[in-house]
Amino acid sequence: MRALVIDDSRVMRRIIAGTLRTIGYSTSEAGDGREALDLLEAGETYDLACIDWNMPVMDGLEFVTAVRENREWRGLTLMMVTTESEHGQIVRALAAGAHEYLIKPFTPDAIRDKLDLLGLLPIEESV
Amino acid sequence: MTTFAPFDTVQITEVAGEIFAAMIDGEPGLLFPWTGGPIVLSEPLFAWVEMHDAFSGRVVLSTETSTAHALVRGLLGMTGGEAVSEADLVDAFGEVANVVGGNLKALLPTQGRLTLPVVGRVAPSTEGLTRFDGAALSWCGRPLDITVWRI
Repeated sequence: MRALVIDDSRVMRRIIAGTLRTIGYSTSEAGDGREALDLLEAGETYDLACIDWNMPVMDGLEFVTAVRENREWRGLTLMMVTTESEHGQIVRALAAGAHEYLIKPFTPDAIRDKLDLLGLLPIEESV
Repeated sequence: MTTFAPFDTVQITEVAGEIFAAMIDGEPGLLFPWTGGPIVLSEPLFAWVEMHDAFSGRVVLSTETSTAHALVRGLLGMTGGEAVSEADLVDAFGEVANVVGGNLKALLPTQGRLTLPVVGRVAPSTEGLTRFDGAALSWCGRPLDITVWRI
């Protein structure tokens, strides 16, 4: 399974991608929503995108909106991973088309639990 | 005049404690109030974010640069002997400030905007700002200061 980690913090990308690789994903990284869209437009395909909200150039909400406007990418599961934890912000993200929402700080187990909820744990990791 | 008080020292301490337990330490109990008198830093590193909402403020984290290195090692699961690059130091300490600021912003009654983190060796100017609250903390016996300024 393939995941795209989108965060302007290289360290945070490394942490999230490292957790996903432990679970069994192969990962790619993008520093903002525009970079991530460039990868999708170039034909790269992913099962999952983990998306920060506050990023320069194109933020996470704009990215989610852009992905949902393109039917070719409807198979991509979108999970926000962000400090934006107010209820209203969560509702906005889900309304825009995000499937799940993980609030920073998180633990590796929290990522695994969210993927389990989404049915996106690789077979050997499924409980 | 009534001054809106979105959070206090106890809440700042709790928020920071949860963040450190989840992201850096892997367990609770390594971050607690500092009892060693006024915090004076010889080689400080600062990281800050601003929130703009019903309360507009700046959240500033400061600690010794050596402590920031240790924080980054904890965040990245590195061993004590591994060197931390300057890029990782700035990125990771800024991300800690971002998560602290974001979780404090979540205590506000309305939605607001959080700026991207800034990291520097010099404290940001506080001209025209008022110190609102803060928490002097001890992480593994090392001082870590969180200060909130009203903009």
